[in-house]
Amino acid sequence: MSDEKIKNEKDDVRIGVFVCECGVNIGGVVNCHEVADYAATLPNVKCVKVNKFTCADSGQAEIQKHIAEYDLNRVVVATCTPPTHEPTFRECCKEAGVNPYLFEFVNIRDQCSWIHMWDKDRATEKAKDLVRMGVARSRLLEPQEDSFVPVDKNALVIGAGVAGMQAALDLGDMGYKTFLVESEPSIGGRMARFDKVFPTNDCSICILGPKMVEVGRNANVEIMSYSEVVDVDGYVGNFDVTVLHKPRYVNTDLCTGCGACSAKCPVEVPYDFNEDFGTRHAIYVPFPQAVPLRAVLDKDNCIECGACEKACEANAIDHEQKPAYSKIKVGVIVVAVGFSTYDPEPNNDYGYGIYDNVITAMEFERLLNAAGPTGGHVVRSSDCVEPMRVGFINCVGSRDARTNIYCSGVCCMYTLKNAQLLKEKRPETEHTIMYMDIRTPFRGYEEFYNRARSLGVNFVRGKPVEVTEEDNGNLVVRVEDTLKKEILNLEFDLLVLGTGVVAHEGIEKLAKILKLPRASDRFLMELHPKLGPVDSTADGVFLAGACSGPKDIPYAVSQGSACAGRAARLLATGRAPIPGITAVVNKEKCVSCGICVDMCPYNAISISDEDGLAEVTAAICKGCGTCAAACPSGAMEQRHFKSNQIMAQIRNVMSIEDAQGA
Amino acid sequence: MADITPNPDFTREVIANGGETLNLCYQCGTCTGSCLSSRMTAFKTRKAVRMAQLGMKDQVLSSKDLWYCTTCYTCYERCPRGVDIPGVLFAMRNLAVQAGHMAEGHKRTSEAIITYGHAVRPSDKNTELRKALGLVETPPTVLVHESGLMDIKRIMCKTGFDKLIGKPIDLGAGAVLK
Repeated sequence: MSDEKIKNEKDDVRIGVFVCECGVNIGGVVNCHEVADYAATLPNVKCVKVNKFTCADSGQAEIQKHIAEYDLNRVVVATCTPPTHEPTFRECCKEAGVNPYLFEFVNIRDQCSWIHMWDKDRATEKAKDLVRMGVARSRLLEPQEDSFVPVDKNALVIGAGVAGMQAALDLGDMGYKTFLVESEPSIGGRMARFDKVFPTNDCSICILGPKMVEVGRNANVEIMSYSEVVDVDGYVGNFDVTVLHKPRYVNTDLCTGCGACSAKCPVEVPYDFNEDFGTRHAIYVPFPQAVPLRAVLDKDNCIECGACEKACEANAIDHEQKPAYSKIKVGVIVVAVGFSTYDPEPNNDYGYGIYDNVITAMEFERLLNAAGPTGGHVVRSSDCVEPMRVGFINCVGSRDARTNIYCSGVCCMYTLKNAQLLKEKRPETEHTIMYMDIRTPFRGYEEFYNRARSLGVNFVRGKPVEVTEEDNGNLVVRVEDTLKKEILNLEFDLLVLGTGVVAHEGIEKLAKILKLPRASDRFLMELHPKLGPVDSTADGVFLAGACSGPKDIPYAVSQGSACAGRAARLLATGRAPIPGITAVVNKEKCVSCGICVDMCPYNAISISDEDGLAEVTAAICKGCGTCAAACPSGAMEQRHFKSNQIMAQIRNVMSIEDAQGA
Repeated sequence: MADITPNPDFTREVIANGGETLNLCYQCGTCTGSCLSSRMTAFKTRKAVRMAQLGMKDQVLSSKDLWYCTTCYTCYERCPRGVDIPGVLFAMRNLAVQAGHMAEGHKRTSEAIITYGHAVRPSDKNTELRKALGLVETPPTVLVHESGLMDIKRIMCKTGFDKLIGKPIDLGAGAVLK
């Protein structure tokens, strides 16, 4: 661009500055009229206006009215925060005929009225500085256009627990081909292992089973069980995914899931589906309701005796199976890998791992289950006797600065459930729940708590301190009853730990593959905790269920559907927008040093095969500016955040005089 | 029982004097259950922390229980909120002392330090034992180096500790406080 042209453009710049009081949010601290009066003195500013609520329809109408009246070609709004309001004001400008990228946002709420709420004068001075910087930048802004990339119509759902199943069903029902990848031999996830589910105490597998069958029958859903996503390349709308199919050593086309192989297998190993209580055979059908209902051979424990092969009438057993890989192309990805439970063994919390009769709630759940290792009889490990006094300790591995500071949200409810279920089966038993707070929000949950109390479950408010074991295997819990203000030593036959929800053990690997950030609690991070709860930071990748934090079943199911809806926006329109802030290479300046390639956190830059120079894939670029800052030859430039635009801001915060010139 | 009027100023004072984590406590009782002292005495850790949260100044400062904590730190180690409970107790003890409440035993020990430079003075039995072991009868401390004792007195004086325990030291007309 010639100097002459820049000069002309600058002369033509007509800026409107709108200062928002945001009720008292800003106006209660910053003197907005003083800021507006100051803005009116800045070069190129043709009009200023103070509004009570600029984002309201009336505030936006003011902006549009001023654009027409003063023939504005730049708009500066000094108000709250870009993540929530930038799209609003950009759209407002666009409607009035001003390119949305000629709008400049100045944040005087977070950066002035909130952080300097005790120092009104200086907050106002700072607001003036920020407005001056915004006006300086606005003067140099250039129009930009959003672009679009085409979106492949297939979807991928990773994890077939209840959240992933819901997402796959909804996408399939909408007519989109959906690949549902599950690392276990059957879909169903955690919910398939629960005995009954709160707050209605209906049998978990009885309500999940039909949904699993529905997934299996849906013509658009392709289940890839016993498989894992090992690589993802590409970007929104165009993901190239590599799926590893672990060898089952059973030909699933031939196997009928009859279980004859398992009946003949002489090997017995602890059964993880039953939390390692009871055993399974080396070849086994995961559980009676499994989908797909096919056997799987655990090669690590197989002694290759050949008994299963003789038993199998379908000749489905294939010892020579090898790991196989599929390459699939999808437009959107839903992550629904679920959670793990806190493991009390390494720290021997409350004697777990030392005392036989201290078990976790998940283990208790399998003991309660009619299809569990004891046929639904809750017995204790030391002597297989059915306990008369059962203690439940809440918040094990939750709400604790030494393990996980967060509340797992589901433990209160499942402990209330477990106590109720055993009380119903054997009313003569006594149950004591040791808790710090009972948290039962949402429909029917408080009623569920009342039900436990009316059934005669005892409650002690206090966090247990120590557990000791008696010679007969009984356990004595020392706890302060904080309501009675006395120390209790309570003796139980069985002690159940309400262990918390932790991030899935495979999440770190998957987060790397998908380039997704995790929060300090180790779960995946959503785009926005309130307004983007199922969006991830990667376009076209969505998060459902407990992969982004502890959730109960209704919440996980809602998120599964929410992800399907969010994903379908892209699938239905067939295109994904790329904002006009991506980096561009000035090929004349690029020296192919490759620094930008290494620095880019999104792998959006490569060295072109054609000319050997840097090349940006706009669909992957997030406009973070790392490359532009790192480029030693100044060849990388980020649209809408060009060096001259940023330098103008910096010069203007350093000295007021420059404001007149630059 | 008399009604309690919370005193937020006292709570703030405890926080400012080493009890920064006081407000994190959610009263789970882990501390009381873990407290070795509470098995023998009327001291209840959680109660003391709660009184601090409520700002029960008069009741806390005049409480004899406050001095029963042995600072074993078990409560701190087990606290699921990471509350520095001994820190809260120290803050309250310091405020109690400033308000003129110090346990008699602490007072006597402090007096011994001012008078002899030792919390526990060597007894005759000790001296015999030292002799039998072939050590010098009097240990080479302030008991031998009198100027050291003077230094201790100066420190006590300068920090105002002597007045806290109600035994003002007279260093004499010629004494210079550095």
